[in-house]
Amino acid sequence: MSQADLSLEDKTIDILARIAETDEVRRNLDLELFDLDILDSLATVQLMVALSDEFGVDISPAEFEREEWATPRKIVAYMEQRVRG
Amino acid sequence: MDLLERIDEWGRTTPERPAHVSAGRTLTYGALLRRSDAFAAHLALALPDDGSPVAVIGHKEPEMLIAFLGAVKAGHPYVPIDTSLPPHRVASIVATAGARLTLTPEYVSQLADVEADAPGRRLRMSDHYYIIFTSGSTGEPKGVVITLGCLTSFVNWMLDEQSFKEREEVFLNQAPFSFDLSVMDLYLSLATGGTLFSITREDIANPKQLYQAFAASGVTAWVSTPSFAQMCLAERRFAAEMLPQLRRFLFCGETLPPEVAAELLRRFPEAMVWNTYGPTEATVAATSICVNHALLGRYPSLPVGRPKPDARVLVMDEAGQPARPGERGEIVIAGPNVSPGYLGRPDLTARAFFDLDSQWAYRTGDWGYYRDGLLFFEGRMDSQIKLHGYRIEIGDIEANLMALPGVRDAVVIPVGKDGIYDSLTACVVLAERLAGSDFEVSCTLRAKLGKRLPSYMVPRRFCFQEAFPMTANGKVDRHKLAEALA
Repeated sequence: MSQADLSLEDKTIDILARIAETDEVRRNLDLELFDLDILDSLATVQLMVALSDEFGVDISPAEFEREEWATPRKIVAYMEQRVRG
Repeated sequence: MDLLERIDEWGRTTPERPAHVSAGRTLTYGALLRRSDAFAAHLALALPDDGSPVAVIGHKEPEMLIAFLGAVKAGHPYVPIDTSLPPHRVASIVATAGARLTLTPEYVSQLADVEADAPGRRLRMSDHYYIIFTSGSTGEPKGVVITLGCLTSFVNWMLDEQSFKEREEVFLNQAPFSFDLSVMDLYLSLATGGTLFSITREDIANPKQLYQAFAASGVTAWVSTPSFAQMCLAERRFAAEMLPQLRRFLFCGETLPPEVAAELLRRFPEAMVWNTYGPTEATVAATSICVNHALLGRYPSLPVGRPKPDARVLVMDEAGQPARPGERGEIVIAGPNVSPGYLGRPDLTARAFFDLDSQWAYRTGDWGYYRDGLLFFEGRMDSQIKLHGYRIEIGDIEANLMALPGVRDAVVIPVGKDGIYDSLTACVVLAERLAGSDFEVSCTLRAKLGKRLPSYMVPRRFCFQEAFPMTANGKVDRHKLAEALA
């Protein structure tokens, strides 16, 4: 994994940990964020806004697919695709 | 014509007009009239004529409207309960209400083809109309009784002030019917021959579906908590192009941040933004104000407005005298919109309600002050909070947490800034160390608490401690705990 990859992943997980209010998202990248009620609708939107601001990409809640945001790993993959995309 | 007759009249004059649209299902005014009359006749046979409440459980189904109107036409107030509540909480509400019957959408559907041989009965203004349960500080919810007179006072005020267009409005219904904010959209819509457009829990959990629903809704009057509108604003296409017929935002339930009002005015230049204020005990809202650019420029924190004409909204000092302009005190509301009290709880009623110069009055427990003739809300005098519009007694969560096996002590700290909270943290002392990591233990406690309390009352974060810091008086030092969490 390159330094750039680490940076994007780290930043994404940092933001997720802050909004989800748990460091468990760092320890378990396959944590089911919605099934475990770690993210609710409002927190999800806050996460989208924070990631948009951090990476300068336009993440539209109107295009949100729950499956793409279901775990920390999937969110990182989504962000990689959007930023490099 | 009273409110019920007015609603029934739409069923006779515009039977094909949609009264309610929810999850792709439509209920017309004609069907609402016919089925609520039939349901009232059924309840009159099924229940003794004693005015006892009936519970109505569901999530925004058209059958809930039929059950509400059917129940009151049969002389029984209804207790709306949302299916998001866990069974433990539902059982507690049904038992406290003394409801003899719990109506579900399936129950109501079974009577879809029945015809009534006579219309429902006429209500007196003092008759109980609905009972809404709110969080209680000891861990048990309490029921606020609202009469037809209270509801009529609220609805007539709003109709006079807002000048809705009859048979043309489409009202957004965001709040579940168990939350009294929904009374604003439901009854303003039914009173004006409007259409109530419900968005469901599933819509809110899937923003893509939510915005598609908005775009297809034709909503003209938006009724929601400010935090819901704030969430919607995260989508930049949430603007007049998405909701071209929208002319009015009506907010209630929590503080309206000025930046939310300003952004809505920018994105919806043809819409008005109204801020309102009031507790469930005073029937939805008792003050209102139209928020415009001039008001935003003048006040860094928005006022909640002026009292409705038939009510008095006073700020009282510690001696029980009206406070001077600018002086902070408790907000007291008196008038025909004030609830007779809490169901079956004369002790709680006597503490919060009283006679004020021959008018029934309610001590809100809210801090406020008047400036320039406008009321400003300044937070709570006790540990009740508003979280995303939901009214929560912190003691309710703590009592339920301490009822869980393995929990010795619990303190819940609301987290936010400027008096607007966005999450809850539970600080817990365990009786003994439970197996698993802190995260796993917190998941277990969250799941157990979720079986006793609605999800919006379950803290997002848990922190485990050996003991709590104490004040000199031997009480838990909540300030120190909150500082440690910050």
